[in-house]
Amino acid sequence: MKNAIEMKNLTKNFGELRAVNNLSFSIKEGELFGLLGPNGSGKTTTVKLLTGQIKPTKGNATILGMNVLKNPIKVRELVGIIPEQETPPSFLTSEEYLHFVGKIRNLDKIEEKSNSWLEFLEFEDQKNVLCKDLSRGTRQKLMFAQAFLHEPKIAFIDEPLINLDPIIQRKVKDYLQEFVKNGGTIFFSTHVLEIAEEICTRIGIIDKGTLIYEGSIKDLKKKRQHLEDLFLKLVREA
Amino acid sequence: MLEILRNMIKEEWRIHSSLFGSFMFALFPVLLAVIAFVGALSLPFVEIAIPINQMLSIFQYLFILFGLSIGSFGLFGREIMNRRFGHASLLAYSSRSLPVSEKKIFVNFIVKDIIYYFILWIAPFVLGFAIASPFLSISFIYSLSFLLILTLSFLMGLSVAFFLSTVYVHSIKLLIGFLGLLTIASFISVYYSNVNISNLLSVLSFYYLPSFNQVALSFFIIIAPIAFSLFFLKVDYPQKTRIFKNSLDKFSGWFKFSKYSIFVSKDFLDFNRSEGGLGKIIFSFFLPLSFVWLLISVFMRLMPLLNPFVIFSIFLGILSSSFYNWFTEFDLFTSYAFLPVKISTVMKSKVNSYIIINLIPLFVLILASLWTNQIENFMPSLFVFLSVSAYTLSITTYLAGLNPNILLYNAKIFLEYLLLISPILLILIFLSVVPYYLILSIVLIPISYQILKKSYEKWDSIEQPYF
Repeated sequence: MKNAIEMKNLTKNFGELRAVNNLSFSIKEGELFGLLGPNGSGKTTTVKLLTGQIKPTKGNATILGMNVLKNPIKVRELVGIIPEQETPPSFLTSEEYLHFVGKIRNLDKIEEKSNSWLEFLEFEDQKNVLCKDLSRGTRQKLMFAQAFLHEPKIAFIDEPLINLDPIIQRKVKDYLQEFVKNGGTIFFSTHVLEIAEEICTRIGIIDKGTLIYEGSIKDLKKKRQHLEDLFLKLVREA
Repeated sequence: MLEILRNMIKEEWRIHSSLFGSFMFALFPVLLAVIAFVGALSLPFVEIAIPINQMLSIFQYLFILFGLSIGSFGLFGREIMNRRFGHASLLAYSSRSLPVSEKKIFVNFIVKDIIYYFILWIAPFVLGFAIASPFLSISFIYSLSFLLILTLSFLMGLSVAFFLSTVYVHSIKLLIGFLGLLTIASFISVYYSNVNISNLLSVLSFYYLPSFNQVALSFFIIIAPIAFSLFFLKVDYPQKTRIFKNSLDKFSGWFKFSKYSIFVSKDFLDFNRSEGGLGKIIFSFFLPLSFVWLLISVFMRLMPLLNPFVIFSIFLGILSSSFYNWFTEFDLFTSYAFLPVKISTVMKSKVNSYIIINLIPLFVLILASLWTNQIENFMPSLFVFLSVSAYTLSITTYLAGLNPNILLYNAKIFLEYLLLISPILLILIFLSVVPYYLILSIVLIPISYQILKKSYEKWDSIEQPYF
């Protein structure tokens, strides 16, 4: 399997604060990689760096062989992103927003694709409601739909399950697992350890911007080690 | 009680300083005092055109409007705050999560607004006037009277905003009915009776006739609406889920001549569906435009060489730029950051929307030329309007990118804005002595185009600020 995501010495400073510190690791195609860490550990900044939303202070990354620093727009054409905060434009309806994203991405059959996502995530009845009036859960469904509308090969998803009800959570987890089985790659940022343990194939733990652990879930299971115990131990020691 | 007030003032300061930086925001009252000082020094010239009493009335109404806007923003502005700060949870909205009564929070909120805006706006403004008064041989006592008038005017606007927001919370229909009645009463008073409503509202009448009745009336007009708001206080806002059929595709068809039709469609949908709708255009464009027209008509008595219609077309170009501010108000770049979209693409789309909406001021220009019988000067006025509109837009985009509503309040950026626009305006006003010279203003179009190109490069090269 080829590397889908590669980063080398990826570093980001915000003034005096080093949010991401020398991250160097890669993720192969077909992996569901979970980046775990406590609040403020640098997970969201890493996603933003990998998708060219912000520029690194040092280092670089490639997505499917494409240099993120040089081609941030091309990278965002290839990937799907669910940002940490669900921020669809306030005065478009759900359906209009999916059409808006479809047109930005130059998709064909936008209506068909949009309808299938509205149906799959069970919010067709909300399609004519303004985004600002949607519940947080529905907004999250909408952001999920926009990220996968163009059938990307890689998706970066930041805490995508938090506001969803258990039925939709199950559907989404199954979808993500199916997505990677079919060759897709997921970079999943979360601090909900149970979800990571359940669906990820490999995990990384980040604390204060530094990667403090990297390994597969299979290895953990072989060692009969619980992710929660490992996480607490590493973060407390760091 | 004092603890809540102290924290509310701190919170208000931090909101502003997080937007503009503490130092820059602290400079704002200084800038205001300087503007008031310079304005006061020009009084002997202005007084020839506008009698001092009329000037006082203008300031009084401006500060009533200011009080209204501060009161409305504080109470209705949660949506705006949420857009800028994520899900804002201000102390004013915290009565549900803290063991403090809504009434107590509300009283603190009112006192906070009075103290904060008195220190930040009213006092510096009057201070500028007071410093200039020895140069004008005006007694210091006038500064104190001025301070009293402006404070009472601000309080009046604030109390009316609180009153209207209370009625709104109880029923939107009641608010519409109340405003309707007020409009009819004003109409009747102006055309059919001797009672002038503006006199009733005027805190100036207290200044002219310092009787007990006038004092009582001024305070009653301020205290009664606040007391009413407190008595009928209710914090649940009427919220309605708004439903619309897909109009994006239809709009996008209309604007397909633009490369950015999808963004332009979104801009116009935002404009149409956001609170205020048409009211926003009236307040942000037509109201200042009428004010400019009034000022021009008055000032032209001082400068008979200048043509009011031609001068109006110059200022029409400046005021048109408020439309760009509106188009950028409804979305933050965070809504696009995760899509394959450059900052410059969004900026270009806003410029496209701006060009389209400039049909409104163009229509105003045509009407004004017909009304003032100035058809012979229409062509130079059209040239200067388009050039000034393009130039102001380019300067705004260069200095403030997609955030003019935030960055133009930064004292440094605002000063740069004034320095880049004022000399051009002065040259154009000078040229307007012979209106056809204004055709030369066309040189501003390629200059604006270059500035726009530079602004796209500038904002693409820096990380978009998150507010």
